[in-house]
Amino acid sequence: MKVTINKEENKYNVILEGRLDTTNANQFQEDIAPLMEGANPDITLDCTAMEYTSSQGLRMFLMLQKSVNARSGKMVMTNMKPQVKEVFDITGFSNIIKIL
Amino acid sequence: MRASHSFSARLSRNILLITSCLFITASIVIAIFSHILIGAEATKNATNALNATILEIEKTLSEVEAATKSVTWLIEEHKYDKEYLYHITKQLVSRNPNIVGSAIAFRDDFFKGEHFFSPYSYRDETTGVITSMQLGNEEYDYFNMEWYSVPKDTKVPHWSEPYFDTGGGQQIMTTYSTPLFDENGEVYAIFTADINLHNLTKKVQDMKPYNNSYAIILSPTGTFISHKDTSLILNKTIFDIAEKDDNDHMRKIATEMTNYKSGVMPFHNDEANAFVVYGPINNKWTAAIIIPFHDVFERLMRMNIIILLVSVFGLFLLFILSLRIIRKLSQPITEFSVSAINMAKGNFHAKLPEITTKDEMRMLYDSFHYMQESITKYISELKTTTAANQHYESELNIARNIQLAMVPTKFPTPEDFDKNGFELHALLHPAKAVGGDLYDFFTKEGKLYFAVGDVSGKGVPASLFMAITKSAFRFTTNLSTSMQQVMNNINAVVAEGNASNMFVTLFIGMIDLASGVLHYCNAGHNPIVIIDKDGNAKFLHARPNLAVGLFDDFQYQEEHLTLERGSRLIIYTDGVTEAENKAKQLFGDDRLIECTNGTPFEKSSKEVIDNIISSIHEFTNGAEQNDDITILSVKY
Repeated sequence: MKVTINKEENKYNVILEGRLDTTNANQFQEDIAPLMEGANPDITLDCTAMEYTSSQGLRMFLMLQKSVNARSGKMVMTNMKPQVKEVFDITGFSNIIKIL
Repeated sequence: MRASHSFSARLSRNILLITSCLFITASIVIAIFSHILIGAEATKNATNALNATILEIEKTLSEVEAATKSVTWLIEEHKYDKEYLYHITKQLVSRNPNIVGSAIAFRDDFFKGEHFFSPYSYRDETTGVITSMQLGNEEYDYFNMEWYSVPKDTKVPHWSEPYFDTGGGQQIMTTYSTPLFDENGEVYAIFTADINLHNLTKKVQDMKPYNNSYAIILSPTGTFISHKDTSLILNKTIFDIAEKDDNDHMRKIATEMTNYKSGVMPFHNDEANAFVVYGPINNKWTAAIIIPFHDVFERLMRMNIIILLVSVFGLFLLFILSLRIIRKLSQPITEFSVSAINMAKGNFHAKLPEITTKDEMRMLYDSFHYMQESITKYISELKTTTAANQHYESELNIARNIQLAMVPTKFPTPEDFDKNGFELHALLHPAKAVGGDLYDFFTKEGKLYFAVGDVSGKGVPASLFMAITKSAFRFTTNLSTSMQQVMNNINAVVAEGNASNMFVTLFIGMIDLASGVLHYCNAGHNPIVIIDKDGNAKFLHARPNLAVGLFDDFQYQEEHLTLERGSRLIIYTDGVTEAENKAKQLFGDDRLIECTNGTPFEKSSKEVIDNIISSIHEFTNGAEQNDDITILSVKY
């Protein structure tokens, strides 16, 4: 999973590429650490190139969402591939994470 | 380590080799220059000696000439006083040690009626007594003698060719003849002085600039007047010798000398290699000094031998010293190698040699020391890591054991389908690192309760989460028969204190075995498969709600449907649909439907599960399983 973070004040444009599974979930957690701090974050996760996410990955997105909520911020995931979107739908995560 | 192969021996040998080359080169250069210098010196010495010899001879000769000249006026005054003429000759001999005899030979009939008249005085060399006599007679017809006839005809003084004196023993003599003139300019007598050349040549022979050098004197015809081999004197010419030996060198020297040239020439014959310094004496005779090379260069040879011996001794000393010094300097290397061997044997604290110098040895020491520290550190880290891995492995085993102990493994037999009103089988196949799947089932009061869940996570935390979930399921189904209520309770229990944001996707259901009504509640779990009594398989897309454990106040909503007799439910975790082959392709929903579609009624739940598993294995084709696989199959 490749994570590219572009920051402009409190706006984050994050590009996610590849697969997120058990083997690299910990690395992903380190990669997104910068997104876990600062007030009123406005985070856009560009999922155009995200191939897959496991339940571990979902947990990471949930953690991020909860963190963003606590800091009165906004988070949105965009351009999700259908097979990835399906996982979010099945688990009900679509209900708690905004997916465009 | 053999000394001859050791570093120090090799280095010493190289030093020795280089030094030897330098020594040899220097010695050769010195030898060549010495040779040239000594050669030049020898030439100079020889020339000096030759010049001294020539001077000595010329001095003697001119003394004789002068002495002779000094008495001619006396003769002139007393030429008719026969007695006085005898007196003159006697006085000349007695006053000049170089002159051994003197005569005044008058021409024919100078004294009327006397054919010969020649007063003559000579010294007996052995007794020193001077005797006077009249020389000429019929037997000794001096008019035809060279010493008389030549100066008489040429009217100039003349030195005769050397000759052996027949009178006074085998003495080599030469005669100086000077003509005496009357008023008319006619020669009336020849005044002579005889010189014994023996003393002169002895003097010449005594003049030896080198031990084996010798001098020769040649007459204008090349006859030997003086030679160390006395048998040659007046007997042979230098040309005779040159012809006899067929020696070009000598021929050339002979020609040069008889032409009154002076110079230096190399000379080789069977006896020796030498060089010859030659020069004329008064343009009358010619002298040469022959100096064998051996004499000249003997000292040089001796010096070279001494230099050679000193060099060899010095080089030997140098070799021994450099060997010792280098061995001492390189001693730490030997010790380092011992340390290295010890380290290789596992003793990473092997003692290093003590280095007090601040040179390359110090660098080597530092490197070794650094290496020791690094290896020690690495080894200790490796031990820690290994221990951690073992710990982790055992943790996974614990997790797996918890997981497997939690799920029921006793299933109703297929034969009791009619009696029980249902038939059920389940399988939990843990992956290596993941321990979060669960299933459960039980019957109570004519109802079959079942649950299949998947905890997001692994290891002991996941297995404990699973245990909590399962306990909550068992516990809350005692309190309520409403599936959404059960799910709300499970969610509340699981979400409580869930700091790590773990969650469980869970599908729970309850079949009223009498009516076939299925109440179910889905918490973010995969869609289940329903196979109708004719074997048609399809997904049941239940309302997703939300995975359990995230928000404790989430309100779940249940659904229900009525099952026909002979239909089946297959509840599974994503380990099934997300089983991967080596090309990272997923098993997927379609393959699941495909392998379950058309399942005949007679097949047991276990056979359905086995079929799915074998389909998965066929698809993954040996790729490692990276998620738990759980399948629960119910036949109503």
